[in-house]
Amino acid sequence: MRSSKWLTTAALLSLTVAATACGNSNDNASNNASASQSPSASASTSPSASAESASPSPSASAPAESASAAPNGNGETLTVYLNDFDDIVKPMFEEQTGYKLNIVSGNGAEIMSRIEAEKGNPHWDVVWMDSMPSIDQLGAKGELLEGWTPDNAANLTDFSKQFVPANQSYYPTGTHAASVIVYNTKSFDEASAPKTWADLADPKFKGAVGMADPAVAAPAYPFVAWFFQSQGMDAGKSYFQSLIKNGIHIYPKNPQVANALTSGEIKAAALQESNAYTLKNSGEPIGIIWPEEGAPGSVRVAAIQKNTQHADAAKAFVNFLLDPKTQQALIDKGDESYFEPSVKGVTAKPDRDPNAKLVVAEAGWAGEHEGEIKQWFADNSVQ
Amino acid sequence: MLAVLILLILLPLAAVVIQVLLPGVFFGNWQLGDLSLLLDVFRRPLWYTSLKNTIVLGLGTTLLGTLIGAALATVRAQWKFPGARLLDVTVWLLVITPSFILAQGWVMFAAAGGLAKQWFGWDWLHSFIFTPVGLIVVMALSKFPFAYLAVYTALEWKVDRLGEAARMNGGSPWTVWRTVHAPLLLPAYCSGAMLVFMDTVGDFGLPASIAAVFRFPTLPYSIYSALYTSPIRFDMAGVLSFYLVLLIALAMSVQFYVLRRSRFDFLNARATRSEPRPPIRGKWLFAAINVLTMAIAAGIPFGSNLLTSVTRSGSGGGAALTLDNYKQLFETSGLLSEGLVHSLEIAAGAAVIGLIVGFFVSYVLTYSRFALRQAVDVISLISLAVPGVVLGIGYIFIWNQAWLEKIGMLLYGKPGILVLASVAGAIPVITRMLSGAMAKVPERLLAAAQMQGAGFGSRLRTVFVPLLRGALVSAALAAFGASVFDLATTSILFPPNFMTLPVVINQAFEDLKFGYAAAATLTGGGAVIAAIMIIEWLFKPKKARRTEP
Repeated sequence: MRSSKWLTTAALLSLTVAATACGNSNDNASNNASASQSPSASASTSPSASAESASPSPSASAPAESASAAPNGNGETLTVYLNDFDDIVKPMFEEQTGYKLNIVSGNGAEIMSRIEAEKGNPHWDVVWMDSMPSIDQLGAKGELLEGWTPDNAANLTDFSKQFVPANQSYYPTGTHAASVIVYNTKSFDEASAPKTWADLADPKFKGAVGMADPAVAAPAYPFVAWFFQSQGMDAGKSYFQSLIKNGIHIYPKNPQVANALTSGEIKAAALQESNAYTLKNSGEPIGIIWPEEGAPGSVRVAAIQKNTQHADAAKAFVNFLLDPKTQQALIDKGDESYFEPSVKGVTAKPDRDPNAKLVVAEAGWAGEHEGEIKQWFADNSVQ
Repeated sequence: MLAVLILLILLPLAAVVIQVLLPGVFFGNWQLGDLSLLLDVFRRPLWYTSLKNTIVLGLGTTLLGTLIGAALATVRAQWKFPGARLLDVTVWLLVITPSFILAQGWVMFAAAGGLAKQWFGWDWLHSFIFTPVGLIVVMALSKFPFAYLAVYTALEWKVDRLGEAARMNGGSPWTVWRTVHAPLLLPAYCSGAMLVFMDTVGDFGLPASIAAVFRFPTLPYSIYSALYTSPIRFDMAGVLSFYLVLLIALAMSVQFYVLRRSRFDFLNARATRSEPRPPIRGKWLFAAINVLTMAIAAGIPFGSNLLTSVTRSGSGGGAALTLDNYKQLFETSGLLSEGLVHSLEIAAGAAVIGLIVGFFVSYVLTYSRFALRQAVDVISLISLAVPGVVLGIGYIFIWNQAWLEKIGMLLYGKPGILVLASVAGAIPVITRMLSGAMAKVPERLLAAAQMQGAGFGSRLRTVFVPLLRGALVSAALAAFGASVFDLATTSILFPPNFMTLPVVINQAFEDLKFGYAAAATLTGGGAVIAAIMIIEWLFKPKKARRTEP
């Protein structure tokens, strides 16, 4: 039992090594014709590299590699950078297509840092995250595959269609509220709890409200950005200025906001949707309010790296994400399962408010102003 | 040796700092960056506050932490008292535990509706902890083990005659300590203080979690926010890291100034291994102080975590005890055990390589006349202070260049890079602990051996290893323990499908599975502590061991 797991790990590892090695040398080949002989050279170096790096012996890889040849996907390995749902999409996609998935899962900021730092020699084929403005910026810089329409894009809901950019460099797979209003039911009831975003600045809630820091928490930026875009920069600034004056607590990330809420540190908060429902479902005394003017949403999008060596597999993966069956599985089994699906024929969580209204800052605008807004926020909230 | 250090630590860091000058150089773009960023630290409110806060926090914690660590180490080395082993276990526990876990424990305990309030009705604790002074106290209680280990390992050998002579002349124990022991141990105190200082100014987890409640941004916090902004500002992270390195360099020059002119190599043939003796009186007082300190430093954070790991919030708002979180650990397809195995392998590799590199670095620092000694000294400490994420990004810049592929050295994307990064992380701890202990081994012992025809190898074997065995073991174990939980570097460098323990824990935490995260921490930490204790028991000098009950 244990040893078989070891073997699988070993096989996966050496596959990874071999695959990344090949992928990169192909990359070189396309950039530089003189390097066309390098695939074989790099393949021969990879066993020694993996042995050196304390991974299990390379001999384990030989049988596994031949065994992994699956019907239609040929066992080709696709590297996906994502920040949620890794445990669900991997087995499902591999079973359906026969491709192998290599997953790097981290928080949004870590993944974006990696992508940025790898710019000279990218390791990823597909990125799938709820950071539309950042991915839109990648597209604007020409780092994404453009002009391709997945078959399943026909299923997109009217709400989601608006997020597909003109150059078709990414596709939305769902939208969740970057923040809803949550309150501690021991401190407030439905009548006394804050009901609109403006209420959070009410002196009634002085020092009792918390939110995540847009400079650190990935979902907090779409929340902040919507105010700045829809109301204008000045109105946005004065809104957050009023929150800061009202003693809002700013935590690095949403989990800390949730923690502060359950520990009584704060009594109400702007909290990411799935976090809010997770708290409520785990029995914490939490009430959730969807403001009438709408909850700023964060769109999860999938994009393909421009120079990918696994374009077919990458396209199969994006198409797979737009499959209603896939999105239903994310809702039924995922951790971040509270979201509005992007395709028709999917049922959202039953306890999610049926009238949940989402509003989304325009990706191009939000991406361009990200540095400016975050800097303003950081410098003003520190005082 | 310098080359290894440069390759491991300086090059990745330089890569990030170079981003300030030439933002696109790694992507084939020679464009001069905006140097006015360097002065922004005095202009931007966030950066200025961060710098100020980092200095206040660093100095305060260093003072208090070194005081606590040195006092405990002195007492522990000198006297036998009940529960002394508890101190050793706790110290290791604190060294290896990632600071965000400790911070979480403190927050759970001291929050407005936290455990302190629920159980003891201590309202005042909240308003004390969440202040700069409170934060310094918490930081000192979490970082003092570095000072403890540095001082304790230096006390392994002693020359009784020095103290005895002083006592014969009528000195009280306090006078003897003040005039004989303390001055001789100055290098060890300094090493300990440096470690505490570095680890404090470079820490992200603790200030971020605790200080967020009252908003106390530090340099690492601003570095993170520069990296977490899109478009990502590697140049800003580089500027702020530069200031962190500047802080270290300043601290080192202070240390250099304090230690100038003095010699500390007092060991001679009369040196004996320290053996704790029962104190004439006050045995139980020591025990009580020890237990109390440990209860605060470790009991609070770990107790809070333990409680969280066995608590299920009931639907009525009440809490019920449960072992569900632990059951889950073993049910979820071995993710945790896989991560733990990976982390243990990487940490073991890092400890061994780090020990070898660290030994030679300390040797150079202590004995050679090498002109660049000071530089080696500073470099060996950098990786402790500069946030792991910054080094991690530097590693990507360096080890992900397409041409490396052709020589089979494209390490990024392979587990090997994690070992490299962990070695870099381990070197400061190892060199500090070893050079603290080495300072006491006089060069003439080595010269004597050499005169008898002993080569470098046999000098190592016959002089260093016996004299420094305890320090070597402690240094390797500290490096091992710290690498197991090294979150920052691994979270940005781990290869696809290659989870490590801290990454697993952090993801559980971010998914709000607080109970699961706490259970995983305690289980993983327990396994590592057990391993450390066994290794220590196997390798620690036998004689010292036998004297213990």
